[in-house]
Amino acid sequence: MNPKPWWAKLGHRTLILLVTVYCVFPIYFMLVQSLKTAQEDVFGNPLIVVNPTFENFEELFERSGEVRGFVGSALRRSYPFIDWMENTIVVFAGSVLVTLMASVAAAYAIGRLRPPGFHWWRRVIFATYVIPQTILFVPLYQVVNALGLDDNLLALLLIYPTMALPFCVWLLSVYFQHLPREIEEAALIEGASRATAFFRIILPMSRPVLVAAGIFTLGTIASDFTMASVFLLSAHNQTIPAGLGTMEVALDELLAVAGINLMAIPVVVISALFAKGYVRGLTAAMVEGA
Amino acid sequence: MSIRPAQRSREIRTAYLLLAPAVLLLLTVLAYPLGWEIWISLTSFSPLQDGGTRFVGLDNYRRQFSDSQFWRATLVTVVYAVVTSLVKLVLGLGFALLLVRPFRGRTLVFLAIFLPWAYPASVSVIGWYWTLSPPIPTAYAVFMGNMKYIVDSALGGGAWAFLSVTLFNIWRGSSFIAVLLLAGINAIPPELFEYALLDSKSAWQRFRAVTLPLLKPFLALAVFLSLTSAFADLANVWMLTAGRIVFPVIGTHAYWLAIKGGQFGPASALSLMLVPFLLAALLVLFRLFDRPAREAT
Repeated sequence: MNPKPWWAKLGHRTLILLVTVYCVFPIYFMLVQSLKTAQEDVFGNPLIVVNPTFENFEELFERSGEVRGFVGSALRRSYPFIDWMENTIVVFAGSVLVTLMASVAAAYAIGRLRPPGFHWWRRVIFATYVIPQTILFVPLYQVVNALGLDDNLLALLLIYPTMALPFCVWLLSVYFQHLPREIEEAALIEGASRATAFFRIILPMSRPVLVAAGIFTLGTIASDFTMASVFLLSAHNQTIPAGLGTMEVALDELLAVAGINLMAIPVVVISALFAKGYVRGLTAAMVEGA
Repeated sequence: MSIRPAQRSREIRTAYLLLAPAVLLLLTVLAYPLGWEIWISLTSFSPLQDGGTRFVGLDNYRRQFSDSQFWRATLVTVVYAVVTSLVKLVLGLGFALLLVRPFRGRTLVFLAIFLPWAYPASVSVIGWYWTLSPPIPTAYAVFMGNMKYIVDSALGGGAWAFLSVTLFNIWRGSSFIAVLLLAGINAIPPELFEYALLDSKSAWQRFRAVTLPLLKPFLALAVFLSLTSAFADLANVWMLTAGRIVFPVIGTHAYWLAIKGGQFGPASALSLMLVPFLLAALLVLFRLFDRPAREAT
C-alpha cells in the first residue's frame, strides 16, 4: 500500500483526539469538581483545578459519626459512608459471584449436556429481558417482603444476578456449545468424571469468557440506581448509589461528587484491568457463535 | 460417540439440575411480579380508592388509546429509542472501526472508549445531572443556566433535561456498542479480509461486502440491548429530570400513573404494551444469531 498522505494522517489523529475527549471529558469534569474547595467551586474556572485538595473525600469519612448538636444536624447531615462502601463491596462481589456460578452451571447444561430443546432454554432465559422494569419493583417489593428480606442486602443479591444472567448464560452457553467434543472425551476415556473434566479442562479454557461475563455483570449491576434505593431504606444498609441519592444536593454537592468518584474509581480500575480480556472473551464466544 | 440410553437420561437429569439455580433465580424475581402486573392490568386496583377491586377486562388497555398523554409518551419513547439507537450504533461502529487497525496509543484510546460504559451509570447519572443542572452557584452554573434557558425556550419546558438524558444514554451506550462490535470484528476470520483486499478496490466496498454482513448479528444484539434499555429507561430519565416529567417516556408515564396517581391498572397495562414490540425485536435477533438449522448438528 502507498504511504498515506499527510492530511489523512492528520485527519486520523484529530479523529482519535476528538473521540478520546468525547469519551473522557464528563469523567474528567467530575473528577476535577471533587478535588475542589468550596471557594474554587464557586469562583474558579470549572475546567481545571488550581489547588487540588482531598478535603471532600476526607469529609465523607469524617462525617460518618454521630449528629453534632441541633443546628449541626440541620445544616450538616451525616452520612455513614464507610457503611455504604462495605455494603457496596458485599453486594457487588456477591452478585458477580452468584451470577457467574448460576450462569456457568446453566450454560454448561445448555451447551454441553444439551437436554431436549436446549436452544429454547437459552432463548427463554434471554427473553426475560423483554419484561419491562418500570413498575415491576412494586410487586417485587411484595416478594422481597414475603421472603423477609425487606431492607436487607440479600434482596439485592437476589435481584442483581437476574439483570445480567440472561446475557451471561447466552454468552457462555454458545461458547461451551462450540467447543469440540474431543476436549472432554479424552479425559472421560481416561476414567475421569464429567465434573473433573469440567473443572480441570473446560473451566480453565473458558477464562476469557468468564472474564467477559464477569465484567458485563459488574457493569450492569453498577448501573442500577432504582432497585438499590427502593429496597435499601435505612441509611446503614444502603449501597453508595442509593446513599448518594438521599444526599442534600444543594448543601453537599462537592461531597456527593467525591462519593461518586470513590464508588467509580475501583469499578473503573477493575474493569480497565480486565478490559482486554473482556474483548477477548466476547470474541471467543462469537467466533463460532454467529 | 455412542451413548447408552441410561447414560443419556442421567445426563439430561444433570442438565436440569444445573439449570435449576438460574431458573429459580429468574422465577423468584420475575414470575410473581410479571403475573401480578398482568392480573392488575385487567383490574381497577388502586391503593387510593375504597371498595373492592373489580375485574375490568381489557378496559385499561382500551382507555390508553383515547388518552392524549399516552400518545405523547409513545411518540417521545419511539423518537427517543430510534434516535438514541441509531446514533449509538453509528458512533459505536465508528469507534470500533477506528480501533481495529493498529496505531500508536491504541490501548489508551481503547480504554478511553471503554470508560463511559465501565464508569458506573448509577453514579455518573447523578454527576451528569448536577453538572447540567447545577444546584448551587458553582462556577459553571450561569453557563448551564443559559444553555437551559436557550434550549427550553426554543423547544419547550423540560427540553434541556430531556436532551441531557438523551446525551447520557448515547454517551454510555456508544461505548458498550463499540466494544461489542470490536469483539465482533475480531471474530471475523482475517482470510476474509485478505480475499476482499484482492477482490475490491475501495475500503468502502470491502466494508459493505465483508464487515457489515458478518457484523449483522452483533449489530442486532446491540440494537436489542439498546432498545430494551431505552424503553425501560426509567431511572435515568427520573434522575435527570428530577421528576418534572414534561417529556414523558412510556416508563416514566407508567411510573407517574402508578406511584403518584395510584392507577395501577392503567400503569401495568401501559408497561405491558411494550412487550409485543420487544418480543418482535427479539425474534429478529434470534433469527440472525441462533439459527436452529445450524444447531441441529
